[in-house]
Amino acid sequence: MHGVKRIRYSREALEAKQQRDKAKLQEYLALTEEIISRKKNGDYSHEAFDLTTRMLRVNPEFYTVWNYRKTILVKEFFLKSTPHQINDVLSGDLDMTTAFLKQHPKIYAIWNHRRWCLEQVPEGPTEADPNGWKMANWKKELYVVEKMLDVDARNFHAWNYRRYVLASMPVHRSEQSELDYTTRKIEANFSNFSAWHQRSKVLTTLWETGKANPAQNREEELELVRNAMYTDPFDQSVWIYHRWLIGEGSDATILQAEISSIQELLDEQPDSKWCMESLVHYKQLLLRNHSAIIGAEDRQVVKTSCLDLLLQLQHVDSERKNRYGDLAVRIRDMDI
Amino acid sequence: MGAEPKLNIPLHVKYIQSLGENKDDLTYHLTAHLRMNAVYWGLTALYIMKNKDALDREEMIEYVMSCWDEQAGGFGAHPDHDAHIHATLSAIQILVMQDALDRVDVDRVTKFILSLQQPSGVFAGDAFGEIDTRFLYIAVQALSLLGRLHELDVEKTVGYIQRCRNFDGGFGAIIGAESHAAQVFVCTAALAILDRLDVIDQETLAWWLSERQLPNGGLNGRPEKLEDVCYSFWVLSALSILKKLNWIDADKLIKFILSAEDLEHGGIADRPGDQPDVFHTQFGVAGLSLLGYPGLEDIDPVYCLPAKITEAKGLRKDWEALPRRV
Ligand SMILES: [Zn+2]
Repeated sequence: MHGVKRIRYSREALEAKQQRDKAKLQEYLALTEEIISRKKNGDYSHEAFDLTTRMLRVNPEFYTVWNYRKTILVKEFFLKSTPHQINDVLSGDLDMTTAFLKQHPKIYAIWNHRRWCLEQVPEGPTEADPNGWKMANWKKELYVVEKMLDVDARNFHAWNYRRYVLASMPVHRSEQSELDYTTRKIEANFSNFSAWHQRSKVLTTLWETGKANPAQNREEELELVRNAMYTDPFDQSVWIYHRWLIGEGSDATILQAEISSIQELLDEQPDSKWCMESLVHYKQLLLRNHSAIIGAEDRQVVKTSCLDLLLQLQHVDSERKNRYGDLAVRIRDMDI
Repeated sequence: MGAEPKLNIPLHVKYIQSLGENKDDLTYHLTAHLRMNAVYWGLTALYIMKNKDALDREEMIEYVMSCWDEQAGGFGAHPDHDAHIHATLSAIQILVMQDALDRVDVDRVTKFILSLQQPSGVFAGDAFGEIDTRFLYIAVQALSLLGRLHELDVEKTVGYIQRCRNFDGGFGAIIGAESHAAQVFVCTAALAILDRLDVIDQETLAWWLSERQLPNGGLNGRPEKLEDVCYSFWVLSALSILKKLNWIDADKLIKFILSAEDLEHGGIADRPGDQPDVFHTQFGVAGLSLLGYPGLEDIDPVYCLPAKITEAKGLRKDWEALPRRV
């Protein structure tokens, strides 16, 4: 159970509640029994289907009942119906699960049933337009999932479903429009790491398929990230994303530019843990990958500044002081 | 300063014992689809609190066997519920803890589990096809406990986990999904069982995991989310497998977990002031055990079973919890 406040009932209140629930309980147990016995008898009738609807309204987590519902559709309904009727009943189930999701946005079983329904949509409405129904349904899916993300922009069920929809749509949407979507989500709330994560995936695809220029993108991304850092230097989402942008730090110019830009921010925000932590990380990359371009004297300066920062971090961010201690030992022992 | 808060073991034992006595309560029946898991959580928590015998052994074994789905060859969550890989693992774990694995038709369960592996390498939860790295871990652990790991296509399985790895070092539920502490636990523990920790960028992952601790001591599951007691186990288990458990502040986390205890009726909740449940009770206690809290049995973070059990079966992997305090 998550986020359910503890309630203290007086004895009278508890008895009254149990009395009230008694009828509900009897009804629930009777319904369970009826469904289970019909299922055992291989009853795939309309009535059985309607009973599953009744049950799932009360308990959308009862996976056995979802399974039974799917079985009724596959073993009976689909065999005896026209494609039109099949499409109608699946649309009905999609509408039903939309309503369920509004109430229970994090129940796996509901999302799964939705996915299953979409995959069952038959070809039609006509031979000339075999993708018509599919298209109509998939387009609606993107709309539904956006509504879900409007309500909770971190709901990972919705994000996973979104990626699934984007990958499965009969006609693909461009990656650029997905990138724009993540921009909107990020601008609405810089701390939405789910959107930053999605952005890293979309950009990777764009680069791998040659649809965008990594160097140009990286510059734009660094600009976006800088805005976010200045807006809230204590929010970790943006710093984690920044680390992805820099990667192994193979580009010395970018690495050095980012180090001085973070140093500037640290000067303004002297207690920013993320500034210090990131500086240590990027300076370490500098020492490891570009020691040739910085002179021996400077290497010692960089090393000493890392050790200083780690010492401060042990105080500013004491939960992780042992990590900073371990890093300090490693940097001290670095052969430079 | 008042006295240090303490884990109220007798009260939590009573709470777990009372869970089976709520049959007049609607909520009890609404959660039947989790019953097998709940029995596993309850028994594990009792075991860790050194009260393994607080629930009747015979009754428990009979209950587990009554959930066998003869048609599918696996266990359901409750009698007459369909077989599912999650309920099946809980059943096996319970029987292992009760030293009653001989009750299981190992050939059939193995067949059921292996039948759920998909061409991509991930596992489905049941015949209806939901996929998740949770189910992959469940398959790996179940096969390991059954002594049938050699029947698994390890390359294919590891390959899927590898493709779930994100730049932050973590893992998600499926390919492309955001890193999440619970998924990090299942992927890390599966790799530990398969002796393939080399797949992990350990430095980056341990960093990401240590950043789950919030100023109030509690751990969250993703960046910029709220703390929750159950993440104590997901994050700590992965950190112990990476041998970096000291990268978070143990004292603060112990205080946070204890602050979520219900000191009136027993049990631990997700957060202070919330309704306790057996899930958070188990993962709170398991977290405390890894942190070296005094008076508890060791929990094996790879299997989420008492370490005594995995050691006796010769399954212990190379992990490190904090030393037991006295
Ligand atoms: Zn939780």
